[in-house]
Amino acid sequence: MARYVSLGWGIRKERGGLWTRNAVRGTSVRGERRKRDGRVEWRKWDSHRSKVAAMLMRTKSDPSTLIPEPGSLCVYLGASSGSTVSHLHDHICGAGNHHDGKIIAVDISSRMMRDLVIMCETRPGIIPVLADARHPLSVAQYLQRKSDWLFQDLSMPDQAKSFIESTSKLLTEGGLGIISIKAASERWAPGGDEQHFDESESLINSASHLQIIERIDLRGLEDQHIAIVTRKV
Amino acid sequence: MRVVYDWRLSRVIGPDLNVIDELLWTSTRSSRAVADRLEGLQRGRMSPEARILTARFPEAIPDSMGHLDDSDWPALTGEEQQLLESAAAILARRGVADAAGNIDRRLDMLVSSQSELRSAWTTVEARCIEWAGLLLPTLDLDKERERIPVAIAESHDLAGTADLLGTDSPPHAPSGPEWRAIQETARRCIDISNSLKSSEEAIRSVAREYLPSLSRLVGPLGAAKLCVMAGGRERLARMPSGSIQVLGAHAAMAAHRRGAPPPKHGSVIFSMPQVSKSPRWVRGKIARFLAGKASIASRLDHFDGDPWSESDIEEIHRHSESIKQKFPTPPKRK
Repeated sequence: MARYVSLGWGIRKERGGLWTRNAVRGTSVRGERRKRDGRVEWRKWDSHRSKVAAMLMRTKSDPSTLIPEPGSLCVYLGASSGSTVSHLHDHICGAGNHHDGKIIAVDISSRMMRDLVIMCETRPGIIPVLADARHPLSVAQYLQRKSDWLFQDLSMPDQAKSFIESTSKLLTEGGLGIISIKAASERWAPGGDEQHFDESESLINSASHLQIIERIDLRGLEDQHIAIVTRKV
Repeated sequence: MRVVYDWRLSRVIGPDLNVIDELLWTSTRSSRAVADRLEGLQRGRMSPEARILTARFPEAIPDSMGHLDDSDWPALTGEEQQLLESAAAILARRGVADAAGNIDRRLDMLVSSQSELRSAWTTVEARCIEWAGLLLPTLDLDKERERIPVAIAESHDLAGTADLLGTDSPPHAPSGPEWRAIQETARRCIDISNSLKSSEEAIRSVAREYLPSLSRLVGPLGAAKLCVMAGGRERLARMPSGSIQVLGAHAAMAAHRRGAPPPKHGSVIFSMPQVSKSPRWVRGKIARFLAGKASIASRLDHFDGDPWSESDIEEIHRHSESIKQKFPTPPKRK
C-alpha cells in the first residue's frame, strides 16, 4: 500500500499533508518539518500558511494538473517573504536548478523583499522583483517569453481586474493562471464575502482570453479566500 | 511597424512579423549595468538600442512588452540567465536600501514607537500611583500624582518617600525585596516618560521639516499622526477633507458605515483644542472647516507649495473663532 500520492517530480501528498523535495538539503525556510526518505529529503508544505498548498488540498480535480512542470517558467505575483515560492522552487528548479526552471517572484513590500532576497541566494532560478505587481511592465522586463504558469496573491482591491491584465500580458496561451481572492481586500459592499467572490468570478469569466476551470473554496485552511483556476485560450 | 526590446537587444518588426533591423547590446555586460538597464526599463524608459532604432525608423511605434509576443525572441543563454539573476538581486537590494530614505516609513516608526511608549507609560504610572496609595494611606493621590514616582525613585525606603511627600509614615512598611520592586516600577515609569519626551522631540523635528504647513495648523505631533494614519504624505495629500476629518476614529467610522452615529471623538482633528474646547453644537462645523484647511495644508506640503506662515494660521483660527461667535446658543431641539 502506497503511503503517498505523487503529484509530480517534487511534490507528494501524504495523509498529513503535502511535502516537497528539498532543493537545499538540511535547511528549512520558515522552520517547517523535514524528513528523509531514502536519499531524498522532503520538506513539509503547510497548507494553512500557503494558498497554493491549500488549493492543492481542496481541489476537486486532480491536483497534479494544477502544478507547473519542472523546468517551466512561472510568475508569482505577491510572493511575500517567499515560503510558497520556495516550495514551488523545490519542484520546478530542484537542487542547483538542474531542471533549468525559473520563477519570477514579485512583491511590493521592501520588508518582505529583504527576506526573499536572502532566500534567493541559496535557490538559483528564483528572480526577486521589487515592484508593484499590478503593472505588468515591470515584470515583463524579466521575461523573454510569456510564462507557463502564473499565480496571483495580492491583498489589494480590484484583484480580479489586475489578474485579467497580467494574464493577458504575461501568460502564454494554454498556460494556467490562478488567482487567490481575499474577500477582506475588497471595498465593503452589501452581500459580504460571497458577493465579492461572485463578482470577481464573473469579471474573470467575462475576459475573453480566460477560461475558468475551477473555483476552489479555501475555507478552513485560509478563511475568506477562494482560488480561481483559469486556462488562457 | 513596431520597435520591441528587452535589456539585451532591440528589433524593428514589420507588419508581416518580419525582422527589419536588429541591434544588440554589445558593450561589456556587468550585473550592475544590467541592473541599471532593468531599472530604466521597469520605469517605462527605452533601452539605448531601442532609442537608436526609433531614430532610424521614426514611423515605428515602440512597444515595451512586445518582445513577449514575438515567438522568435531569443531565449537567455546560461551566462545571460546568471547575469539577470544577479542583477535582479542587486535591484531588489537597492529597493530595500532605498526604503530607509523614505520619510513616511521613518515617521511611521517614530509615531508607532511613541504610541507604544504612551500606552506603556499609562499602565506603569497607574500601577505606581495605586501601589503608593495602598501603602501610604494618608497620601493625597491627586495633588501629589506627578511627584510620587520621582519621590519613590529618590528615597531609600518607603518612610523616606513619605517624608519627601510630607505624609504620614507607612503603617505596614514593605520588606526589602518588596520595596525594591516598588522602586523598580517607579524608575521604569520615569524612564519611559523620558523616552517619550525624546521620541516626541524627534517627531516634532521631522514633522516641522516634512509637513511644515500642516504642523503649523494642527501641531507637529498631530501632523505626524495624520500622515502615518493616512499611510504616507502622498496619500494624505490625495485624501478628501472628509476623510481627514475622521482620521484616527477608525473603529467609530467603520461602525458608522453600518448604521451607528458618526464618530465624535478620537480623530486627530477633533482632539485639537479649537474643536474639543468649543461648545458641542459648533464642534462639527469647526472640525469640518479645519479638516478642509488641513487638507489644503497637506497638499502644500506634498506638492511643494509655499508653506503657510504664522499669520495665515492666525487667520484660520480667527475664522474658526467667528464660527463659534455665529452660533452662540445651542440649536432648538426638533
